[in-house]
Amino acid sequence: MTKHLRVIVGLALRNLQRHLRRTLLTASAMIAGSMLLIFSLSLGDGTHESWIDSGVRMGSGHVTVESPAFRTTQNIDARLSTAARQVAELALQNPLLSGDVSAVSSRMMVTGLASSAAGARPVKIMGVDPRSEAAFTTLNAQVVEGRYLEPDDRLAAFVGKQLVDSLDLRLGSRLVLNAQDVDNDIGGQLVRVVGIFQSGVPEIDQSLVHIPLSTAGEFLGSRDDVTTIGVLLNDSAAVPRVAQALRQALADPVAAGQVTVLNWREAMPELAAAVALDDFGNYLVFGILFIIIGFGIVNTVLMSVLHRHREFGVLQALGLTPGETGAVVLVEGLVMTAVSGLVGVALGLLCTWHFFGEGLDFTNLMGEEMTFSGVVIDPVIIPLFRVTRVVHVLLFILSIGAVSSVYPAIRAASIDVPTAMKFER
Amino acid sequence: MTSTQAGPWRQIGWRNLGRHPKRTAITAIGLGVGYFAVVFLVGWSSGLMAQMVENGTGLVSGQIEIHDTDYRPDRSLYDTIGGREGADISAIIRTIASDPAVVAAAPRLYAGGLISSGNSTSAGMLMGIDPSLELDLTRFLDDLVEGRIVEPGRNELLVGDELARQLGAGVGDEVVLVAPGADGSMGNDLFTIAGIFHSGLAFIDSRYGVLPLDTLQTLIVMDTGRIHEVAVSTADPWIATEAAGRLTAALGPMDLDIEVAPWTELRPEMVEYVALGESFYFLIIAIVFGIAMFGVANTMLMGTYERRREFAVMLALGTSPRHIVLTVVYEAIALGAVSLVAGFVVTLPVMVWWHNAPPDLGWLYGEVTVMGALIRPSLRVEYDVAVWIWSSVALLLTALLAALYPAARAARVPPADALSGL
Repeated sequence: MTKHLRVIVGLALRNLQRHLRRTLLTASAMIAGSMLLIFSLSLGDGTHESWIDSGVRMGSGHVTVESPAFRTTQNIDARLSTAARQVAELALQNPLLSGDVSAVSSRMMVTGLASSAAGARPVKIMGVDPRSEAAFTTLNAQVVEGRYLEPDDRLAAFVGKQLVDSLDLRLGSRLVLNAQDVDNDIGGQLVRVVGIFQSGVPEIDQSLVHIPLSTAGEFLGSRDDVTTIGVLLNDSAAVPRVAQALRQALADPVAAGQVTVLNWREAMPELAAAVALDDFGNYLVFGILFIIIGFGIVNTVLMSVLHRHREFGVLQALGLTPGETGAVVLVEGLVMTAVSGLVGVALGLLCTWHFFGEGLDFTNLMGEEMTFSGVVIDPVIIPLFRVTRVVHVLLFILSIGAVSSVYPAIRAASIDVPTAMKFER
Repeated sequence: MTSTQAGPWRQIGWRNLGRHPKRTAITAIGLGVGYFAVVFLVGWSSGLMAQMVENGTGLVSGQIEIHDTDYRPDRSLYDTIGGREGADISAIIRTIASDPAVVAAAPRLYAGGLISSGNSTSAGMLMGIDPSLELDLTRFLDDLVEGRIVEPGRNELLVGDELARQLGAGVGDEVVLVAPGADGSMGNDLFTIAGIFHSGLAFIDSRYGVLPLDTLQTLIVMDTGRIHEVAVSTADPWIATEAAGRLTAALGPMDLDIEVAPWTELRPEMVEYVALGESFYFLIIAIVFGIAMFGVANTMLMGTYERRREFAVMLALGTSPRHIVLTVVYEAIALGAVSLVAGFVVTLPVMVWWHNAPPDLGWLYGEVTVMGALIRPSLRVEYDVAVWIWSSVALLLTALLAALYPAARAARVPPADALSGL
């Protein structure tokens, strides 16, 4: 077959040129399809990256170090040992990892009750180091009144808007936090509201209270201990690398079942499901679109085969094998899809970045704040470019071209030479 | 033009489809897939929306909630219906239940408290319910993971599976509830876990304790007439707004300071989300058929190119170019009609199947929440008659538009050249 490769490719190319209008029409469907594909995948990836980013900032980071028991019991007894915490924090300062890491926050998280004269509400009490948490969370940017915690704060609390309303609090008001302490008694602590935030996620605005880690350590008797180390990365693509490095550094306590390293998909299955659902929807749309395009290609290539019965008869009479005749058709389909795929992807990337590089603003459409799996959806979508995506798209388009040329190629290969040459048409 | 004159062009167009059955079939499949795609995608999307609204309104809350006017948004312990004196709850429930749209109505009381079991303590939201009424209303207590529903008058409690795990407690275990009472005291008492529920919403499953209304009233020192909320469910979420209007009027004579709020008012973001989703339906139709149009145009173009001689003969015999255009356009419309029938025949059973027995997608993604409403992984679809009709129109339009350029070319075939040249 290689012997006639030049002939095959030459014939295929010439035939595409000969029916330029037909080629262009089929190609334009492919080009439009790949433009749409690259455009919406870039936007989709950008959307997911922003969900993941805001999800992990609200939650426990791209990578989370905690005790395996903590996930099920949320109990203060399942806190990290001082040694494990030191090892993990040291490993994250390693120059090999520190490039990927954008923030680390060690937190003491317990569920408790917040009460004021107006009532009581179940809350998630989070003891944090004000300085490192400020780099981690987005809540300090969502202050509606007052300020975020500061390093010198002692009996201070940073509280969600809905909780403030339901307990009838205001800046400077006092509230009592009750929670189980290390001795399994109920500890109580009076704190003052120094800041009020509104994240837009009802569950968080109703129930999250940040207090300084030192205050939490005092009233819970846990001193400097934490339950969770959250690690925020610059790019979600670095998650496996960082998680792996942490697992290695913590190999002993992990093996002993004292510590576990989770990625955000494990720590926030709901968010992972949201991303998967959205991806599935996108893939479905594109699967269908390209099936339609595929039928168009089948039709074009098949018609061109039927018209060239005589030509194929002559080619085979001159010594091309049936397989090589089929290859002419296949190459025709592949060249057309490859070229239009490349053009489409290039145009798609160009359009996406020229028009929407700054982000596509859906603010007018969305209006109210929308949440998806506990994440507030940012109405401005910034497209995300990934080389692997482009490669995926090109491979996908090529395989569509290949699949839809197979049947016409078989037809071309299986003609009866004498009959094909006998008649004028 | 009379019907006899109209005949031949239509027939020529129709007959030409049969002359290339394979080509016709492939083009028709392309269009049919497009039809299926649009109807299915829109159906799935409305299925997700419908689930969001159903679960957002029917799983824990109702489609309508009735509160004291001061209750929202603070949800303070003291803002009970009818103020501090309370109200005649059974009379309210009777009035509400007499509305034809109402399926069920149930009273509720809420209080924050601590739940302790052995060495573990967790904070929880205590929800006091009337078990028999509540079961008709909400769905999250219908299928308990374990145990049974609470009975009025007893110190019994239902907890979410997540909370049970955090407490390390199971059915039959005793827990201590501590909750600040309405009189400023700290109420506490021993309760037995009667059952464990799973709603799928982490917030509910990890925080909520459900106990009989009268027991909770005793715990937090409230009179029997005091409740925070009457939750009402309607047969269909979309009639809730009207029903709420009627209920406001019906409850008016009781002279209570209350507000009757349908979910559309309680969760405006959900209404917006549905509207946002619907605005994308036309985009889907446009994209799918826009792409399909290339395929049809190509086929028609090839078809007319092949028939240059035929058109030349027709023109030479005195057919006007307008009628040539007509035959090509008729062919396209016939092709569209065939595709539509084929698409419909395939789409209908699949949609009926997926509506009634949606395939599970749990292998692909887990449960998600949209606007805090639970959505389970399934391919459940809804029928939307308007979309079926719009897609049909779009399909025929696609075929028609795709035929215009080939038709124009066919009409401009120069008879002499075409007849002599080939």
